[in-house]
Amino acid sequence: MHPILSNQERLAVYLIGWLIFGVMLAAVLALPRDFSWLEAGTLAIPLTLVYGLICLSSWYVCRVFPLQKTSVAQVFAVQALAAIITIAVWGLLGSGWVIVLERVLTFVAFRTRVLAKAPLMIGVGFILYSLTAAVHYLIMTFEASKESDRRELQSRIFAQEAELKALRAQINPHFLFNSLNSISALATHNPSAVRAMTLKLADFLRKSLRLGAQEMIRLEEEISMSLNFLEIEQIRYGSRLQIVQRIDDVCKDCLVPPLILQPLIENSIVHGIAHLLDGGTITLEAEWRGSVLHVHIENPIDPDRPRSKKGGLGLDNVTKRLRAIYKDDAQLQSDERDGAFRIDLWLPAQTNLGLDRSTSESVHARLTE
Amino acid sequence: MDIIRAIIVDDEELARSIVREYLSDHPEIQIAAECSNGYEAVKAVTDLKPNLLFLDVQMPKLNGFEVLELIEADLAVIFVTAYEQYAVKAFEVHAVDYLLKPFSRERFDEALARVQEKLARNEFVPRLEVLQAARSGTETVERVLVRDGSKVFVIPTEKIDYIEAQDDYVSIRSEGKSHLKKQRLSDLQSMLDPKKFVRIHRSTILNVDRLARLELYAKDSRMAILKDGTQLQVSRSGYEALKELL
Repeated sequence: MHPILSNQERLAVYLIGWLIFGVMLAAVLALPRDFSWLEAGTLAIPLTLVYGLICLSSWYVCRVFPLQKTSVAQVFAVQALAAIITIAVWGLLGSGWVIVLERVLTFVAFRTRVLAKAPLMIGVGFILYSLTAAVHYLIMTFEASKESDRRELQSRIFAQEAELKALRAQINPHFLFNSLNSISALATHNPSAVRAMTLKLADFLRKSLRLGAQEMIRLEEEISMSLNFLEIEQIRYGSRLQIVQRIDDVCKDCLVPPLILQPLIENSIVHGIAHLLDGGTITLEAEWRGSVLHVHIENPIDPDRPRSKKGGLGLDNVTKRLRAIYKDDAQLQSDERDGAFRIDLWLPAQTNLGLDRSTSESVHARLTE
Repeated sequence: MDIIRAIIVDDEELARSIVREYLSDHPEIQIAAECSNGYEAVKAVTDLKPNLLFLDVQMPKLNGFEVLELIEADLAVIFVTAYEQYAVKAFEVHAVDYLLKPFSRERFDEALARVQEKLARNEFVPRLEVLQAARSGTETVERVLVRDGSKVFVIPTEKIDYIEAQDDYVSIRSEGKSHLKKQRLSDLQSMLDPKKFVRIHRSTILNVDRLARLELYAKDSRMAILKDGTQLQVSRSGYEALKELL
């Protein structure tokens, strides 16, 4: 879409600008008395307007050679070539017009006099072409920045929404009610277990509130919160819930968005363990591969479980959040096979090591070992 | 007063233990069994014929409502769950009470008082009505539950070939076996995905995925030939319904 041709208002402003150029050119020709005002006006004004229309085509040249992706020398070379071609076309049309004027309006020796002014016309043509190209580049830059503003705003809004949703989904009320019921059940015969569970619950709630408010947290914190959650669930599920974790030490300082694993862990209980008569083991693994942090979560699943309509909502939310934060640099994959549900999560391995030299050095040492 | 025999059904040991503890104040109630899943519950109810059932909703394999669908005894049911959203359905299946976890001893005693009142009056809603309510609101189901004695079969609907009415029962044909279930054919039909299951005859529902071809054998009467060779009669309106779908 041509930014000027496709917009009537802009086209009008543009042509009025060229009309002014036309009048100016006519004045330049008429004032030294080389041409009468009629001669200068009939020559300069239509030709300038036509030239204005021809120059619109420089948009396509600008688009093919945008400033950001082309070297300055290349831009100059390409635009100069385009200017020469444009001026040549204009010159051809101009000669035709001069002949028509000479015949129809019987201007005397018009051709010779115009030819004498050819260098001036070419110079003006060159300047005007350059001006148009510059305007086109300006429009391109302006629209690109508008577009990127829009996109950034959209992704920010989206990230916030996802954040809110994640936080709201975080403290699942049924998890709380069931935990409170466990506490109530333990109260008569096992006060120390009540205390232990109350503390775990408080710990989990405090962590999720504190960490949830941050933009990025260390993987170690996220995992410790998830394990906290699992320990509470273990009191409820008893031997039906087993946990295995394999976390590479080097990963612990990686930065991740808060509450990105917790919903996945909760899913593996709600959709996995809870539907199995004998429960099973939830495996949580994290490793550092090159520049990527890889997290793997696996749990057994009942292939015949009733499908809940809400199934996958937690996964959807995590995927959306990842997209909002990392664009295409993060990936989440899930698959269900042979009674097991697996989630693989790849994130750019970022750390805030710059802030903490000692950790930085120790991680570096570990990496180079 | 007669002893009330109760069964506690919950997949969490701690959740069962609190019911057990509250019941210890009520010598008139005897705990006949504790079950940690729906299968055990169906078996225990069938074998032990209790008067009272404490029933969790979310459990592995069979949820609380599915357990109710599979048992035949006249008994009082108290739902015990952390979820509020099943309350309406619980009362539709004529549950005596609905306890939200966690619950107090006073609230529990209140529920028991209602049970005693109900058992004293000895008025039970006909099973069929309870069954219909238990299944209602579940739009289309993905599996059909059948009980044979105390054994429960879960049949995914895609494994059903066809269903035939037999007196008060329906006979569900799946993987070379027939399962009898006490249900009306029209009730079962309303639970099945209408894009997959068609009433081809007054007494037959067909899974259209099994259909191989149709043969005309008399005026207005056709025969559906299934992929395994089974022949089923198709009525005129059944033919219209099939045509509409295919």
